[in-house]
Amino acid sequence: MEYTLNVSNLKEQFYTRRGIYKALNGVDILLRKGEILGIAGESGCGKTTLGLTIIGLLPRNAVVTDGEILLDGKDLIATLREFASKEANNPNLRHSENIMKKLNKQLINVRGSRISMVFQDPMTSLNPVLRIGYQIAETLMVHQPEVLAKRRLARSKVKDDDLREALKLLENGADEQSIKAFAETRQLEGIEEQLLNIWRRNDLGIARKEKMILSLRSERLGGFDMAVLQRVVSQGRIDGWMRIPGLNRMSKAVLIKEGNTKAVELLSSLEIPNPEEVVKMYPHELSGGMRQRIIIAIALANNPELVIMDEPTSALDVTVQAQILDLLKHLKQRFNTSFILISHDLSVLAEVCDRIGIMYAGRIVEVATVDAIFNKPLHPYTTMLISAVPTIKGGEIQGIGGAVPDMRFPPSGCMFHPRCPYVMDKCRENNPQMKYVEDEHLVACYLYEGQKGEQN
Amino acid sequence: MIIAARRLTKEFEIKANSAFGKPLRLRAVDSVDIQVGEGQIVGVVGESGSGKSTLGRTLLGLLSPSAGTVLFDIPDDVLREYDGFRRDGDAKGAASIEMEYSIFKKKGEKLKKIRSGMNMVFQDPYSSLDPRMNVMSIITEPLLAMNYMKPDKAVDRCMELLEEVGLPRDFAYRYPHELSGGQKQRVALARGMATLPKFLVLDEPTSALDVSVQAQILSLLRKIREKYHIGMVIITHNIAVISYMADQVNVMYAGKIVESGPKEDVILNPVHPYTIALISAVPGKMVKPNRIILKGDTPNLINPPQGCVFHPRCPMAFGICGWTADEIATDLKYLVNDKFAGSFNDKAVVSTGAGGSLVINNASAGDEGVLERIINEEKGNMKSLTAIEGLERHGTNIELKIKGYRVPKMYNHDGRKVSCLLYAGDDNKA
Amino acid sequence: MNEERAKRWDNTKLSIRVFLANRTALVGLIIVLIYVADALIMQFDPGLLGITQVNTLVPNFTNPVPLPPSWAHPFGTTFPGVDLYTSILKAIRIDLFYSILVVAVGAVAGAVIGVVSATVGGLLDETVMRITDIFFSIPYLILALAIGFILGRSLMYMSLALALVWWPLYARYTRSQTLSTKEFTYVEAAKASGVSRTRIMFRHILPNALPPVFIQISLDLGSIMVIFSTLAFIGFIANAKVPELGYLTSLGLNYVQTAPWAVIFPGVAITVFALAVNLLGDGLRDVIDPRRRS
Repeated sequence: MEYTLNVSNLKEQFYTRRGIYKALNGVDILLRKGEILGIAGESGCGKTTLGLTIIGLLPRNAVVTDGEILLDGKDLIATLREFASKEANNPNLRHSENIMKKLNKQLINVRGSRISMVFQDPMTSLNPVLRIGYQIAETLMVHQPEVLAKRRLARSKVKDDDLREALKLLENGADEQSIKAFAETRQLEGIEEQLLNIWRRNDLGIARKEKMILSLRSERLGGFDMAVLQRVVSQGRIDGWMRIPGLNRMSKAVLIKEGNTKAVELLSSLEIPNPEEVVKMYPHELSGGMRQRIIIAIALANNPELVIMDEPTSALDVTVQAQILDLLKHLKQRFNTSFILISHDLSVLAEVCDRIGIMYAGRIVEVATVDAIFNKPLHPYTTMLISAVPTIKGGEIQGIGGAVPDMRFPPSGCMFHPRCPYVMDKCRENNPQMKYVEDEHLVACYLYEGQKGEQN
Repeated sequence: MIIAARRLTKEFEIKANSAFGKPLRLRAVDSVDIQVGEGQIVGVVGESGSGKSTLGRTLLGLLSPSAGTVLFDIPDDVLREYDGFRRDGDAKGAASIEMEYSIFKKKGEKLKKIRSGMNMVFQDPYSSLDPRMNVMSIITEPLLAMNYMKPDKAVDRCMELLEEVGLPRDFAYRYPHELSGGQKQRVALARGMATLPKFLVLDEPTSALDVSVQAQILSLLRKIREKYHIGMVIITHNIAVISYMADQVNVMYAGKIVESGPKEDVILNPVHPYTIALISAVPGKMVKPNRIILKGDTPNLINPPQGCVFHPRCPMAFGICGWTADEIATDLKYLVNDKFAGSFNDKAVVSTGAGGSLVINNASAGDEGVLERIINEEKGNMKSLTAIEGLERHGTNIELKIKGYRVPKMYNHDGRKVSCLLYAGDDNKA
Repeated sequence: MNEERAKRWDNTKLSIRVFLANRTALVGLIIVLIYVADALIMQFDPGLLGITQVNTLVPNFTNPVPLPPSWAHPFGTTFPGVDLYTSILKAIRIDLFYSILVVAVGAVAGAVIGVVSATVGGLLDETVMRITDIFFSIPYLILALAIGFILGRSLMYMSLALALVWWPLYARYTRSQTLSTKEFTYVEAAKASGVSRTRIMFRHILPNALPPVFIQISLDLGSIMVIFSTLAFIGFIANAKVPELGYLTSLGLNYVQTAPWAVIFPGVAITVFALAVNLLGDGLRDVIDPRRRS
C-alpha cells in the first residue's frame, strides 16, 4: 500500500501563562494515495492543531516534543524535534520564534505546492483587494512558473493545422496520454493541458469548444516576454536577471497573465459558472459558497499531494454545503490528490470520506471505514458520539456525561476513562495502543484487547 | 395561543448607494403568520438570511414590526374571532382585540408584566452573557428588573434555577469566562426561565456547542417543557435539531414561510420544492441517490425576485412562477452563443428591451424552428424557458413572448400550509 | 460570598501576572512612580530634598552663564544661573499637576459628551460629531495658542486651552466604544429580560465600554506633558520665574552650542516621562485584553 502521509506518535504542547497544554498526545495517521480521510472530534480535541502542524503553521509557543510527519517519506518537522530535544522543559519564546522562521523557510516549497490547506472561514481566507484571477495566478507563478511559461510558448508556436489535427484526435475520443504524445512530437508541450481543459468543459456546446480550440493558434509574443518565458523554462524558476527590481515586475506580468488564463480553466473544472467573469471579480462580489470554491481551486492549483480541509463547510448553509460536498466527491475522482477533511460534524464526513478517524483529547482513538464507524463503532467514545447526533428521523439522542478534560492536567491512562461507562482498572493506569481489530479497523481501547492484537 | 403573529412584516432601512439616493428597504420578514400554543414547541428552520432571527426578535417585541401584530396570551376563540374580523375587513373589531392583546400596544407596568411572561435564549453563549457580571447577577437580572421578586428571595430562586439547569450551586459566583460553552448556555437558559415565562424564543440554542453538549442541552429543554409547559419557538438552521424538538415546523426562505405544518408531515414528507431540497441536502451516512442540489445562493432581499422568491433556484419551477426577461435572456444567451453555437447564425444576439421584451437580433431564416426545438429540449434543465409563450418574427428579429406570473399564497395541502403555485389547484382560501 | 472574594483575588493576581510579564511595562511603571513620588515630596515636604522655594526658580545673577555639571550642581546650571537639578525636581510637580488637570477635565467632558451622543443618537450625535470634526481640522497647537492668547497667558489658562482642544478626542473614542458595546448580544439579552434603558446603560454598556477609554487617557498623559511644555517653550508663560520643564529648556536655548546640558537635561526629563507612560499603557492594555490573558 502506498502512503502519501505518515504521521507517527506526534506529540505537541503549548506553553501558556496558565500552564502547559498537551494538545497532541501521540497521533498516528496513515493516509493512502487518493484517499479522503476524515478527522472528527469535539472542539478542543486537537483536530485543527493537527492540521496546522502537518502544514507547519504553528504559533511560537508550540513545541513538538515527539513524533514525525513523513510526506512521501520525507520528514517535515525534523527541525522542530531537534529544537524540542534541546529545550525540552523551558523553551525560550525568542528561540522558538527563530525556529519557526527556519521551518517556514524549509517548508516554502512544500506549502501550497505539495500540501495545501483550506480554512473554515471563506470570508477572510481571500485577500479583499486583489482580483480572484490574480490570487490564483500568483500561487501558480510562485510554485510552477515553468508550467505557465510552457503553456504560453506553446500557444505562440501552435499552427492552425496542429489544432485541427488535435481536434480530430479529441473528437475520436483520444485519451490524455495520446494528446500528450501528440504535443510532444510537435514540440508543443503545454498545449495538451489547454486542449483537454477546453474539451472537458461540460457547459459548452461542441461548436463553441471547436471555436475556442482554434482560437489558441499563434498568439503573438513580444521579444522581451519570449526571452522571459524561455529562461523560465530552461531554469525552472524565476531567477538571474529576472530578479532585478523593475525587470522582475515586467517579467512577472506575462506569467501572471498566463496564470489568469489557467485560472479560468481551473474554475471551469470546479463547475463555477461564468469563469471568465469570476476571475475579474473581487472576493466581496461573490457569495460564501462561491468563495469557498475559489479557495478550493487555489488549494488544488498546483496539483498538491495532500490537501487539508479544516471545517470547509461549517460556515456555509445546508444547501450550499451540499453543493460543496458534491464538488468534493467529483474532485476525488478527477485530481490525484489525498485529502484530510477535519470536521466536528460526523455526517459531513460520512458523505465524502473513505475512512474516518475519531479524535479525543489529542489522540486518534479509532480509525475505520465510514460504514464500520457508523454501523459497528468499537470505541465507547465513538459509540456515544454517534448516539449524540440528532437525525432527521427524530430518534432519541444521548449526551455524553462529564466534560472534555482540561488538557493542562490530562487524566492518567486512557484519557476517556473519566467519562467511559466501561472503565476498568487498567484504563486508569495505562494508555491503550492503537490495534487492528479487523483489517480496516483500528481502535485504542482495552475492551478489544484479546482480539487480533497485532500492533499498528 | 401563547403567541400569535399575523401578517408580521419587518423592513430594515439601508443607506443608499449614492449620497442623494433614496434609502433602500430590506424586507427581512414578509407577512408571516405563526402561532404557538401552551407548552408547544414550534420550530423555525431556514438558511442564513432567511429572516428567522429577525422573526424571533419581532415576536418578542425587541424589534418593532413594519406591519402586522403579535398577540400575546390570547384565548383560542378570541383569536378565531380576530381572524374572522381580518378576513371580513372589520378594522374596528380587529383593532379592539389588538388593543387588548397586542404586545405593541402595551406600556408601563402592563408591558413589564408581559415582558416577564416571555424571554429569549441567544445563539452565542460567549457574547450573550455580560463578562463583567457573575452568574448570580446574570440570572437574577430579569427577576429584579421586572420587580418580579425581592432581592433576597431572588438569591434563593437563582440557586433553584441553577439546580434546574443542572449546575452546582457554587457556580453562582463564577464569571462567564470561567465556564465552558455548555455551562454558559445553561446559565443563559436559567436566565431565560427565571420569571417562569409562558413563552421562550430560542435562537440557535445549540449551534455553537459540541454535539455531546448539544444533546445534553436539548434533553434539558425537553424536560423544562414537560415540567413548566413553556411555549417555545426554536430557531435554527439544523433540521435534525428541529426534528428532535419541535411539534410544528415552519420553513422560511427569503423572509417568507414557505411550508408550515406538523413535524411528521413537513420533515418526513415535504411538498414545497425548497423544503424538499433543504431536507435532501442534510448530510448523512445514507447517500441519497435522488438528492437535489440547488443552484445558486439565497436571493438579495433588497431586490427580491418577482413572483415566487424561490423560482430562480427552484427545480420544479414553471411558466407562471415569475420569470423576468433578464432571467430568461441569461439562459438563452448561453444556449445561443455557447451550447448550441453552431446551430445559429453567428451574429445572433439575445437582447432585452424596455418593458420586459425579449428579442433575438440578426436571426437567419431557419432559426425559429431551431430555437423552438432547443427550447423544448432544454425546458427540463432550464426552467426559465417554460415561461416562453411563443415566438414571433419581425424581419431579422425574433421576439419571444413571456407568460404572466402569479404570486403564491399559503395553500392548504395534505395537512399543512404551503406557499407554492404547484398546490394552488386545491386552493381553499387558506 | 467568601468564594466571590477569593475569585476576585484570583482575578487580580492574574492581572498582576499578565502585567508583570511585560517587562518594559514594569520599567514604565517604575519611572512613572518616581515622577509621582517626586511630585508628592515637592507638594508636602520639599525640605526632604533640601529645596525651599517650590514655586519659583532661584536665579543667581552673579554668575548667569550656564555652568557644566559639578558636585554642587549635578545637572549644571542654566541661564540666569539657575540650578538645573533642583529646578527639574520642582518642575516635575508643576508639569504633572497640569497634565493631569488637562487630561482629567478633557477626558471627563469628552467621555460624558461621547456617551450622551452615542445614547441619544440622531441629530445631537450628528452635531457633536461635526463639532469634533472642526476641532480635528485645526492643528491643536495653533488652536491652543489662539485660545490661550484670548484668555490670557498663565498656566491655568494654558491648561484650560489644552483641555478645550483635547475633549473631542475622548468624545470620539468614548462614543465609538459605547456604540460597539451596544451591539453585543448581552445588551440585547438584557433588553429581552425587560431591563430598563438606563439600567442597561449603567450596568452593561458603560462598565464594558469605559476601561479602554481609561487606558487611552493614561496613554495621553505623556503626550499632554510634551505639548504642555512645548507651549511653555514657545513663550506661553508670562511669569518668568515658574519652574516648568519646557520653559527651562527654552532658557538654555541661547547657549545650546556652548552648554548643551542646559537643554538636554530638562528635555530628557520630558521625553522619559512620555516614554514611560506609553510603556505603562501598553502593559495595562494587556491586562484588559482577554485574549492576552490566556
